[in-house]
Amino acid sequence: MYPAPRLLPAVSNHAGHAMIYLVLDAVTTAAILFVITSGLLIIFGVMKIINFAHAGFLTVGGYVALVATDLEINPWLGFPLALIVGVALGIVIERLILRYLYDRPLDAILATWGLGIIMIQLVTIYFGREVQFTDRPISGAVDIIGAVYSEYRLWMIAFALAFAAAMWALQHGTRLGLQTRAVIMNEPLARSLGINSVKVRLITFAFGAGLACLAGALIVPLSSLNPNLGIPWLVSAFMLVLVAGNSFASLGLACVVLGTAQVVISTYTNPVIGNLTLPVLGALLLRIRPKGFALE
Amino acid sequence: MNRKPFQLLTGAIVAAALAGSAIAQGDPIVIGVPTGLSGANSTVAPAVVQSSELAVAEINAEGGILGREVRLEVADDESSAAGAQRAFDDLIFDRNVDAIISMETSAARNAGLPIVERGQVPYIYTSLYEGQSCNQYLYANGAVPQQMVGPIVDQFMNNDGAKRFFLVGSDYAFGRGMLEFTRNYIEQAGGEVVAEEYQPINATDWTTVITQMRRSQPDAVIMSTAGGAPNVTLQRQYKAAGMEALVGNLSVDELTAQAMGEDAEGIYISASYLTQIDTDRNRDFLARMKEKFGDDYRMPNDLSAPQYDAIYLYKAAIEMAGTTDTDAVIDALDDVSFTGPRGTVQMNHQRHAPLTMRLGRVQADGSVEVVEVFENVNPGDQCPDPS
Repeated sequence: MYPAPRLLPAVSNHAGHAMIYLVLDAVTTAAILFVITSGLLIIFGVMKIINFAHAGFLTVGGYVALVATDLEINPWLGFPLALIVGVALGIVIERLILRYLYDRPLDAILATWGLGIIMIQLVTIYFGREVQFTDRPISGAVDIIGAVYSEYRLWMIAFALAFAAAMWALQHGTRLGLQTRAVIMNEPLARSLGINSVKVRLITFAFGAGLACLAGALIVPLSSLNPNLGIPWLVSAFMLVLVAGNSFASLGLACVVLGTAQVVISTYTNPVIGNLTLPVLGALLLRIRPKGFALE
Repeated sequence: MNRKPFQLLTGAIVAAALAGSAIAQGDPIVIGVPTGLSGANSTVAPAVVQSSELAVAEINAEGGILGREVRLEVADDESSAAGAQRAFDDLIFDRNVDAIISMETSAARNAGLPIVERGQVPYIYTSLYEGQSCNQYLYANGAVPQQMVGPIVDQFMNNDGAKRFFLVGSDYAFGRGMLEFTRNYIEQAGGEVVAEEYQPINATDWTTVITQMRRSQPDAVIMSTAGGAPNVTLQRQYKAAGMEALVGNLSVDELTAQAMGEDAEGIYISASYLTQIDTDRNRDFLARMKEKFGDDYRMPNDLSAPQYDAIYLYKAAIEMAGTTDTDAVIDALDDVSFTGPRGTVQMNHQRHAPLTMRLGRVQADGSVEVVEVFENVNPGDQCPDPS
């Protein structure tokens, strides 16, 4: 009644390719981690607060992809839309709430944590709790040096490189980047030189929030969209920021090392242990070398 | 003094009151429905609530149970053990429900059972599950591995010549229980299990598991994740990776399959309920659901149809016992049957129900075609020692 399905894949997939797959898994995992963590790192770098609302921003970004689907626009346009929504949300939140908490870091933790809960609840109320489906820009697999691999995961490498390039260009190629680096190094001194650190903070938070929302939209095609979209990534993202300090180069290094460790351990033992790799190795690393992957 | 007119008048008032509201006598019978409105089960829980609401509305329209109105109390168990503890506590001790009837994760059921024991209320569990949950207050009317695994594995081995199986699931009672049974079944049938892998219930990245699948080159993959979001994530990543082995899924419901569309194409599922069941009773059930819920209608599925049956089974048990008293209802639940959208269901086999199972195959548009029907499949030994 049904045509017999092919039992063996048409493309050769021999064990000799295991190494290629391992490398691809490791590189794409590192890329995903980098994309997820960038927004958190940029805020931590300048403001010295860990943005506990990060999962909320990821979720909001994911739902921007859903709105793009509902509006029937090209799914690629959902990505810049998520960035814009994130920046706008970041500006509002910084001006209304965070601005008053810079001298009270513990309160800022509680405030951002609460904010994350509020954002996720608002998304839940409006869009519902259940899994939703969005149009995807890309689906399916491609053949790469004899290995069949998820095309979208390969795109994540390009996204991560674009994130890194944008960050480097901003920090080193613009006046704002220079001021930001000055604020990171010594805020009182920067202020005494006439740098408006309030403005730097506003722009930084807005930019970090925008990147987090964009990251949320970027991971939707890999997972299933529901209000808890961002939560499983949170522990990994926090750990990576702690070991990376405030430099994007360190973050890249941390993502590659810890991402590879996670993939190797998942592949050769089992994924349950693999999932513990990142937090455990991160904690050990901080114990041995408190600066983590920070280069300076 | 002539009292007659006065007596006549009171009689008339009482009669009018009785006729006007046939179900106004006594307190309502309250059914608690703890279910996963959030978390892994959130894709299917709204359909479960709708099934319950339809059954209760129909029962009340026909005069309730023993002349008493039926009321639902729904609580979110967050698809988790901790959420279930709150939901069961709230329903049993604060909202004083007469019974718990619900589709939930196995984690939630296991967390709820001790509370049910303390509160001493009947509990009908309506989800398909890994089997062998036995408790003096518990009945189950969903499918167990003995009923679900056979149709899929037999199809793969006998029709498609599959020998090598890769098992993958969520790391909790359902995932492990289902796959343990599956492994034994495959090995007894002469097949080989090349690997058995688990991920945490909220896992978002299955890449390394898929890489292991590539390496071990199975003929078929049997998936047993938590229903809803994990199913979508795994199936989507499996397809995106270009994998082409046969897929049998023990936990995907028709609703989720439909939402996944082409990502789910070709998956085999084994279900006691599919919307394609070709009976008047099922067509009538679907029509009533659509009429009652209109735009909000959620497609009934294998996790929500048993909920509808279970409420009617509870009604029949109360009517047989003549009371809502827990012990009497528990005794009666063994003896009553109900013919609903899935056919006739009676939980007379060690508190579980023989069920007619359908092997379905998901089409490109997400609809599920019935490939084969297996009549009255026995649930096997679930609770051999009566408690």
